[in-house]
Amino acid sequence: MTVKINIPPFFQHLTGSVKIFEAGGSTVGECLNELVRQYPEIKSKLFTRNGRLLKGLNVFINGESAYPGELARPVRDGDKLHITYVMVGG
Amino acid sequence: MTVNTGRILRVNLSSGRIATESVPRKVAEDFVGGRGYGIRYLYDELAPGVEPLGEANKLLMIAGPLAGNTAQAVSRWMTCTKSPQTGAWARSVCGADFGAWLKFAGYEVIIVEGRAGKPVYLHLTPDGCQIQDAGQLWGKDTRVTQSWLAERHGKNTRTACIGPGGENLVKYAAVVSDRRTAGRCGTGTVMGSKNLKAVAVTAARRLTLADPDAYDKLARAQVSTILNNPGFKHHKEWGTTTTQDLTNSIGIYPVRNFRYGQQEGYQQITGAEYRKLRTGDIGCYSCAARCGKVHTVKTGPYAGAHSEGPEYESIWAFTGTVESLSREASIAADQLCDDMGLDTISSGSTIGFAYECYEKGLLKKSDLDGLELKYGDPAPMVKLIKKIAMREGIGDLLAEGAMRAAEKMGGGAEAYAIHVKGLELPAYEPRGAKSQGYNYATANIGASHCYGYAPQEIFGAIMPRPVDRFSEENPDIVIFNQDGTAWHETGIACAFSSGWGWMDIFGKLVAAARGIDKLADGDYLGKVGERMWNLERAFNVREGFTRQQDYLPKRMRTEPLHTREAPGEGQMVSHHDEFLDKYYQLRGWTKEGIPTGKKLKELGLDSVVKDMATKRK
Ligand code: SF4
Repeated sequence: MTVKINIPPFFQHLTGSVKIFEAGGSTVGECLNELVRQYPEIKSKLFTRNGRLLKGLNVFINGESAYPGELARPVRDGDKLHITYVMVGG
Repeated sequence: MTVNTGRILRVNLSSGRIATESVPRKVAEDFVGGRGYGIRYLYDELAPGVEPLGEANKLLMIAGPLAGNTAQAVSRWMTCTKSPQTGAWARSVCGADFGAWLKFAGYEVIIVEGRAGKPVYLHLTPDGCQIQDAGQLWGKDTRVTQSWLAERHGKNTRTACIGPGGENLVKYAAVVSDRRTAGRCGTGTVMGSKNLKAVAVTAARRLTLADPDAYDKLARAQVSTILNNPGFKHHKEWGTTTTQDLTNSIGIYPVRNFRYGQQEGYQQITGAEYRKLRTGDIGCYSCAARCGKVHTVKTGPYAGAHSEGPEYESIWAFTGTVESLSREASIAADQLCDDMGLDTISSGSTIGFAYECYEKGLLKKSDLDGLELKYGDPAPMVKLIKKIAMREGIGDLLAEGAMRAAEKMGGGAEAYAIHVKGLELPAYEPRGAKSQGYNYATANIGASHCYGYAPQEIFGAIMPRPVDRFSEENPDIVIFNQDGTAWHETGIACAFSSGWGWMDIFGKLVAAARGIDKLADGDYLGKVGERMWNLERAFNVREGFTRQQDYLPKRMRTEPLHTREAPGEGQMVSHHDEFLDKYYQLRGWTKEGIPTGKKLKELGLDSVVKDMATKRK
């Protein structure tokens, strides 16, 4: 099973400019953990110390917001995940 | 169902004539409201070549069709005029309560014409408008002015006013309401040129809707969507005070007049650090976000400084520009700009230009009234703000903005004036966020971050598709963001709220407020956005703007960006011409950037075809 994680512009420096990462896993959380195993520096940018998604981030599954309970959401083979900031503007 | 297209109050300050009129249904259908009304009326009523600070220019103050009701984040309002900074079409958006109060008094638009012979203010009530003497207010800051008017006309009064900056015709003076500003493009300067100190509105709350039942249902749905949205929750907690954490980490926080994309030691000015100085939250009418974060300085040289802000842009304007890490100085500078009625972005950016000119020896201590503009030292920056507002000493030159100051100075200073069309750049480095940068280049009001903001590059937004922030091949994204912003601003939806998951209800709310069904259709509104953009462009073309004015500053095209520890080192804007060719083509314009007759007719702008044909010759 493969899920494509689109690495947002603000994390690409932590993945050596890799823009898409293919992960296996049956939930959003499992997929993101695989990303972290490959690129450990991303861990503190994604998760709180308790393993929750950091406030200010959201995940979209095939364009649909996974909020709330993002990490527990199931994913299927071929799904596309996008990590985004929830802020707009400045 | 009744139709409510909005009422206009027209005040001629030269003659004293006051009149009211209704917006014709055709205008409401084609332009919906807000910024749409602004460009339609200004295009029709301003002759080309009008002097921005002359009697013939007009100043519009506009509330949206949704303002003053229960829907969230739609009670902002805007000023529209011909800008003294750019000579182009201008719109500047403001918050607080004034937009709602304008609606309570029964108006959606005020068109101010002419020039008063002496300082005046307008007092509006549901019974009409009076032109009153403002002699005793002239010279007063925006806080004193608003308190005085509230005392005189009662606590049901809300005011939009100028400070000394507008009176002294600083080119980037703001219109201030409560502690919010219509900052960009010098719309406060135009107000000052008309000797108009303030507009005070006294009214009791009342609803103004064509279909209140439908509106009420939709507003409830909007509120429940928003309150459960993670973006709303984050914005409520932080406002924009954490954006610099992100922009520094990815190398797009402009430092030292756009030479670096990351500030050394930026960890000292993160949102969490500002939070330590936070003393309150404040917001706009009918918005539960209350995203204005109030900061108070308790100790040190700026003790006593107290400001509703700084938010992200102003944090940058008073840190990155001069590479200062003093949160306290940024709070003092922000307060001073609001008191004096100055745009924080242009103030900070122009001061950043002056710091670089000092470094390069183009401005000397003797030119600067004894000030030494050394990076890392914010004290001269704070002093300069007051000098600019009063046009005192060096402040007189800097009050002209970076572009004009550089022209006056000569000696190569132009290379350090970082602007597009005369409007100084805001807090995102174009070399590290290129669609954002190309929006600066092509935006009809000059380099504004909120005239086509690129959330795809900065926050990883995925609508309409994800983009590579270093790519220069996304003209479609720039257009998507620009036209999207335009139609959101027909209802003056707060830009922050566009990420809160409710925009599919927006059109329906507008349709219920107006009583015009077709406005509920998202595709129709998309076309309205494009129509507005083209009419604004036509306004500028009629004023003599061409492709020449659609370029980013030379620095972005010839000097590599330095990002310190962030990614993006060495980035430049390298394909500007190719970008413009593609952008114009997608827009349906000529190679010179002039809308074609075919495009104008497709958008129902037949009356503009002849004006543009003359320019194409
Ligand atoms: S989000 Fe902030 S700026 Fe926007 S309407 Fe609400 S309080 Fe005003």
